[in-house]
Amino acid sequence: MMRPIRPSSLLPALAAGLLLAAAARGQVAVRILSPEPGQPVFGATDVRVGVQAGPAIDRVEVYVNGKLAGTAKTPPYHVQVDVGEDNVKREFRAVAYSSTGATGSDTVVTQPVMINDEMNLKLRALFVSVTRNGQRALDLGKEDFQVLDNGAPQEVVTFGRDELPLTAVLLLDTSESMQGKRQEAVRRGAKAFLDGMKPSDEAMLALFSDRLLRFTPFTSQKSILETAIAGTQAAGGTAVNDFLYMSLKLLDARQGQRVVVLFSDGADVHSVLPASDVLWKSRAGQALIYWIQLGGKHESFTSSWRDFKANDKEYRELEQAVRDSGGRILTIERLEDLEGAFRNVLKELREQYAVGYYPNNAKGDGKWHKLDVRVKGGVRARTREGYADYQ
Amino acid sequence: MRVRTEWRLQGRSALWLALLWLSAGLSAWAQPAPGTPGGAGSLGLRAGEKLAPERIQEIYRKVLADWSAGETERAPEELIELESAVVSDADAGTRKVLLKAEQAVIHQVGAADLEVLVPIAVLHHEAYWRLLKRGFHGHALAMIHTRTMARDLAVLYHGQSGSEGASLVSSRLLTSLGGLLQQSAQQLPAAEMFQQAIALDAKNVAAVLGLATIYEKNTQTESAVKLLRHVLEIEPGNFDARLRLALNLKRQDHGGEAAKLLQELTAASEPSWGTPLAFQELARLDSDAGKTAEAEKVLRQALQRYPNDLRLHVQLAAVLDRRGAPGEATTLVEKALTLPAGEEAAARFLYNTVRPDAFAAARTFLDENSRSRLPVLAQALGAPPAAAGTGVGR
Repeated sequence: MMRPIRPSSLLPALAAGLLLAAAARGQVAVRILSPEPGQPVFGATDVRVGVQAGPAIDRVEVYVNGKLAGTAKTPPYHVQVDVGEDNVKREFRAVAYSSTGATGSDTVVTQPVMINDEMNLKLRALFVSVTRNGQRALDLGKEDFQVLDNGAPQEVVTFGRDELPLTAVLLLDTSESMQGKRQEAVRRGAKAFLDGMKPSDEAMLALFSDRLLRFTPFTSQKSILETAIAGTQAAGGTAVNDFLYMSLKLLDARQGQRVVVLFSDGADVHSVLPASDVLWKSRAGQALIYWIQLGGKHESFTSSWRDFKANDKEYRELEQAVRDSGGRILTIERLEDLEGAFRNVLKELREQYAVGYYPNNAKGDGKWHKLDVRVKGGVRARTREGYADYQ
Repeated sequence: MRVRTEWRLQGRSALWLALLWLSAGLSAWAQPAPGTPGGAGSLGLRAGEKLAPERIQEIYRKVLADWSAGETERAPEELIELESAVVSDADAGTRKVLLKAEQAVIHQVGAADLEVLVPIAVLHHEAYWRLLKRGFHGHALAMIHTRTMARDLAVLYHGQSGSEGASLVSSRLLTSLGGLLQQSAQQLPAAEMFQQAIALDAKNVAAVLGLATIYEKNTQTESAVKLLRHVLEIEPGNFDARLRLALNLKRQDHGGEAAKLLQELTAASEPSWGTPLAFQELARLDSDAGKTAEAEKVLRQALQRYPNDLRLHVQLAAVLDRRGAPGEATTLVEKALTLPAGEEAAARFLYNTVRPDAFAAARTFLDENSRSRLPVLAQALGAPPAAAGTGVGR
């Protein structure tokens, strides 16, 4: 199964010696200290670079598979990069530039995890909110977490907090009932979320009713997102299921921490997809769903498609989809609280621990795996309740 | 309701009695509705203005004269101005004052020729339509009054005339009013209007479809199916009736007949607003039954015909996900975002709401019948007749 190639422990010491020798000759000597050659890497990766040079160093650029991933200007030189979860070979290259124009570089090639022919391992990332005495616990380490997948202990492979870039779909109900003050409040809420994003985060804005009224590509440019929010007129009915499914699907192709922030009353009249499809998708995927609702009381209705009972079932399944994704429902009573709700979602995402593991009992048979994340020290941990085992 | 379509009397006294009945009917129709007029209109009246009955009659005659002269824009606005000025939501008595004054005028002109009732009813219908569009908050009673006038004049015309033509005209006016009520989500009064319309003309397809839609929305699928089958006896090719019948049968778990109907609709070469919806629902029947391969086939066929329909892309993506092809599903969803906005995307919305064209034929019929009687109204009023070719023009 997992047989990563471990480099000799002599390597770092040898590299340091070579760097010193190069510096003594007035050259720019560069060594990638982490990741190590042959090591499998996934997700958030800290690329650390050692540089020795006679002249001062202007900057160090880090490339992954030929693409610039980041630049470090001061020692210790390191760049945080999300390399994704694909189990593949990767090339890391660091190039240092001195103030005199001299350059030096180093390249490290990492390898995929060795797997047997019958099993395709997929990193499962869990985002865990931990509270201690009602406050978020932010001082925990990897060793404090234990993951049980269908009761079987798992080896935690990746661990971090507030390190992975965030990819969000802000899915905002812009149906006719949202006209006026409601739409204004939603605009302010979405803007609050966007204002809290980091440069490495990306968001897509999707304003929907029974049709997709407006959307942006995934972008970190807030001006694009804010322009889209400002210029849309609320119109039409509501099709939450269709556009929530679409959002989850779009996030399938993204890396890092993925989330759909949905604002809607959830009274879906016009979707072609049933809520059971959204539930299935939320269980099979890795994105979180946060659902902000105005007014907590759900009142059922009849439509051309369904009666009261069936519409109630739809609503409950949508709630279940949110819970099973590891997200939650935030209910606000007043429009004025909407900005705070959007900010709270972002804060919660930032304060979650990202715990990654390769399920040692994966079969790809679509069966439900119950998850249990245990954390030491009298704290309360919340994450998705399980997942459907699709590879 | 108080409809007595068989009720017929002769002469002037009959008309008075009928108008008294109209008054009684009106009082039972008080219910909330939106509305508030803007500032003073062309008549220079103010809301809540106390007008003497003679003055109301005088203005009403002027409004009718303008209508008979083909002033199709001005006359309905004047009627709205008059009725909103006289009737106050705070005082139900003001409605009776207006009614009596209007009755007096209708009596005078109606005694000359019963046919004048048609253009007068259509004028009130037109005023109600405009009020609904505007959302006249604060003038609910005026709005109900004018709608009730339109309805009761239609019923009165049918009752007094008794001809087949009168039944057709009255039935269409009630159908159109039903459609307007349905559009403003007043389902019970809309259903009553449609029922009356069907009682006057059992072959009035728009009314039968309207009533079936209300039954469908209220989960009375058995009644809906019965009505829809009735429509198909009258018009076997009616797309709306076939689509709705299929979906109601689906809700009743009669998947076989539903699928057959949907297959016929999707195979038809004549495109319709609802064809993408027929494809969606046919695919849903398959995927609900676990037949995802069949669902995929239907949706691929649909996308060939409607390559710009976003919802079909999303639906196919969901089916492909289930069939273990998530990569192609992602590509489809990404492609969906590059599509131009298309009207097909609104098919489900159109199905669940009242389409603007659903009652167009009834309104055209009314307009034609009203226009042809304008000279009669002008003559009864002693006013110059309308120029040829004038009409509501909607």
